[in-house]
Amino acid sequence: MGRKIVALLAASLMVALVPAVATATAAPAAAQQDGDQGATLRVGLQQEFDSLNPFLGFSLASTQVFKLIYPTLTTYAAEDFGVVPDLATEWKHSRDELTWTFTIRRGVKWSDGEPVTAHDVAYTFNRMMTDPAAATANGNYVDNFAAVTAPDDRTVVIRTEKPQATMLSLAIPIVPEHVWSKIDDVADFANQRMPIVGSGPFVATEYRPQQSLTLKTDEDFWRGPAKIDELRFVNFENSDAAVQALRKGEIDVVRKLTPTQFDALAGASNIERVEGQGRRFFEVILNPGATNSAGTPIGTGHPALRDVRVRRAIDRAINREVLVERVLGGYGQLGGGYLPPIFADYHWTPPPRLKRPFDIPAANRALDAAGYLRGPDGTRRTPEGEPLNFEFVLHGDEPVDARVGEYLKGWLSRLGINVTLQPVSDNQVNERTTAGDFDMVISGWSANPDPDYVLRLQTCSARPTPGGGGLPDSFLCDRRYDDLYARQLAEFDHDKRVELVKQAQRRFHTQATGLILFYPNSLEAYRSDRFGDFTTQPADDGVITGQQSYWGYYQAEPTSKAIAGTGGTDYGTVALVLGVVIVLGGGVTGLVALRRRATAGDRE
Amino acid sequence: MSAPATPRAIAWSRRGATLAESWRVYRRDRGGLVGLALLVVIVALAVLAPVLTDGSGLNVTRVDAAPLQPPSASHWLGTDESGRSVLLLTWWGARMSLVIGLAAAALSVVIGTVVGVLAAHFGGWTSTLLMRFTDFFLVLPALVLAIALSTVLTRGLGTIVLAIGVTSWPQTARLVRAQTLTVETRPYIERAKALGGGHRHVIGKHVLPAVLPLVFATTTLTVASAIIAESTLSFLGLGDPSRVSWGAMLKSAMDTGAVTAGAWWYLLPPGLGIAIVVLSFTLCGRALETVFNPRLRGVGA
Repeated sequence: MGRKIVALLAASLMVALVPAVATATAAPAAAQQDGDQGATLRVGLQQEFDSLNPFLGFSLASTQVFKLIYPTLTTYAAEDFGVVPDLATEWKHSRDELTWTFTIRRGVKWSDGEPVTAHDVAYTFNRMMTDPAAATANGNYVDNFAAVTAPDDRTVVIRTEKPQATMLSLAIPIVPEHVWSKIDDVADFANQRMPIVGSGPFVATEYRPQQSLTLKTDEDFWRGPAKIDELRFVNFENSDAAVQALRKGEIDVVRKLTPTQFDALAGASNIERVEGQGRRFFEVILNPGATNSAGTPIGTGHPALRDVRVRRAIDRAINREVLVERVLGGYGQLGGGYLPPIFADYHWTPPPRLKRPFDIPAANRALDAAGYLRGPDGTRRTPEGEPLNFEFVLHGDEPVDARVGEYLKGWLSRLGINVTLQPVSDNQVNERTTAGDFDMVISGWSANPDPDYVLRLQTCSARPTPGGGGLPDSFLCDRRYDDLYARQLAEFDHDKRVELVKQAQRRFHTQATGLILFYPNSLEAYRSDRFGDFTTQPADDGVITGQQSYWGYYQAEPTSKAIAGTGGTDYGTVALVLGVVIVLGGGVTGLVALRRRATAGDRE
Repeated sequence: MSAPATPRAIAWSRRGATLAESWRVYRRDRGGLVGLALLVVIVALAVLAPVLTDGSGLNVTRVDAAPLQPPSASHWLGTDESGRSVLLLTWWGARMSLVIGLAAAALSVVIGTVVGVLAAHFGGWTSTLLMRFTDFFLVLPALVLAIALSTVLTRGLGTIVLAIGVTSWPQTARLVRAQTLTVETRPYIERAKALGGGHRHVIGKHVLPAVLPLVFATTTLTVASAIIAESTLSFLGLGDPSRVSWGAMLKSAMDTGAVTAGAWWYLLPPGLGIAIVVLSFTLCGRALETVFNPRLRGVGA
């Protein structure tokens, strides 16, 4: 009886494994066929697409895809982030800078053949102005719009309430009116019906959630078709898996490498590494007493953190050099001002007078002077007697967060401050940040060439509404900062605007609600046997993926090897491994069967 | 037999004799002895870690060795991505794995024993109810349930113990119920009942002592699976972030890209640690089972 069951099990195991081998060996044939038509650029992603709906998605993975499949009025040059025409060919503004007229390019078509007109642009902007759900991702651009009209097919007229300096950097994906006007509820629309009707260098044709997104080259793109035939984003659970896939040639580009991986790939054959200056800042937010847009206190922030002296003392206990050296492996720059140094004109570094260099004794003295004295257990207390125990919320899936948390916990313990690390899911980080339900939390944003988007995050109007929603960052909400923010948005003289932006950053720095720790460099690698040099943005020390436009993917240069569709997986190895597994599995099952028989004999 | 022997004294001398006999049987199992010896060494090292080593080496802000260095004279097992000694991490990680393994196994066995004994002793609808409850937990995929629990609750030592404990008790409950049923059919239980022994007396004085040896053997085996469960949860990033554990070490090794960098010294020690401790507990558990269940002894025992 027992033997029969074991035999049955062994047999079913074999049966289950055989098709696996069959598919593994059949796969290369299929891959070869695809390859005959042209090159496929396969990009490994370690982030999922939060939404394919351009009004909702704001993860880097999603916004990148929107730039490839939807047009924008203007875009940023690969060379130096200069503004260049995209869907709009030219533009002018009235003397009072309140009325802007854009001329729309002729002959651009949606992927279903309908022409792209000024009405589509007006429809997109109007939808965002009237439908709060449609303003989720890019609402900051249209807050100040009074009216958007399309007097004819080629002309869009935008009137703003106040002058707005971001009119040439409206990074809003334009959607086709004939498709989206039928969508009543934007918040519930996933936009996953393939192919997605869009207009750009690529068309999204196949989406497998948590696996891959495939885009086909649009042969009718007005700049001319891309040299690759297909672009595929492949999701990976962890970066080591992505690197192994790159080594085996299963993918062509991998982004977001850890310093260890980047170093390990040095000298690997057929693999080229790209170190780009990052446009992201990495920040620790100290809850300064969060309030919602009605001014009502929300969340569970520690009262001690409402004191700017405590926040500054914490900043002095952070050794940024060590963080860059140890956590980033040297691949990053020391944190200072709010905007990263890649945008050199807006970047601001605290002058020596305002610097808060690493000095734990000084931080201890400052806390003593401020009246936060150590209790008998060594933990400091507020003058009211509440111990300084802080909850530090981190992204559980981000290794960098965990390591920064360890360091900060170690340094703050020397100030007599207890830090409890709370790694949670990305969604929980966002929820808790919006609800003000934290003492310290890790945050970070990719800044755009135009600083408006990230500057607005610190204003009072970025605070969440009483019903929830909103996209707050550090709950700074400071009258002087808001005044500087409003003035820079209305300032058209570049030099004057730069000055205002720097003053705003200075105010942000002195208030110490968000401590900028570093600007990580972007570490990427690609298969040099399948692709030639990529167009990076900017040209010097730039990046391939995560650009502020579509150049990196659109101008990819496949080699003859990539066009022939070779350099792929070594499926022989896969079959071999599977074979070994089967033999071993069979052997073990057999052994177990024998043993079972022996013990069964003993028992009976 | 000069002094009048009290029942208590008789009971104790019998217990002593049983223990000596058990040890004699246990000693014959070579695997069990090896497992026991390994466990004694590992537990001693883990308990003495704060005395024998400098715990400040675990604080990332207090070390200055180069990161991810291969084994050398100063760092016998190399360093991790923050420059901490992997030997020290593995050493301290043993504490976490053992504490969680033991605590979770204890919790699981307590729940399982209580449910099993009550179900078998009272029978009837109590048994039906308790056993359906047990079946419900038995068919739930334990790891998935544990992951869900530790995601919802705040992360920490207690959460992991709870998550493992409440998902791994059904097997114990079934085993204990079966054993209780056989014990309760024995004449001396009937006698105790006839003499007016209440539920508490029968369970406390007769059933539990008869069941406990089996429970003890099960516990030893449960510890092994609890340690694996702990490592799995920590590896998935659901562990206690403030303490070093073997699962957490493996997670940081993966996160850093140790595989790509070929940093075997970072991956092997925690992996071997888990394997050795789990093996030791399994060997001990097997040997104990033989002791308490004579039918499992081989021919010629």
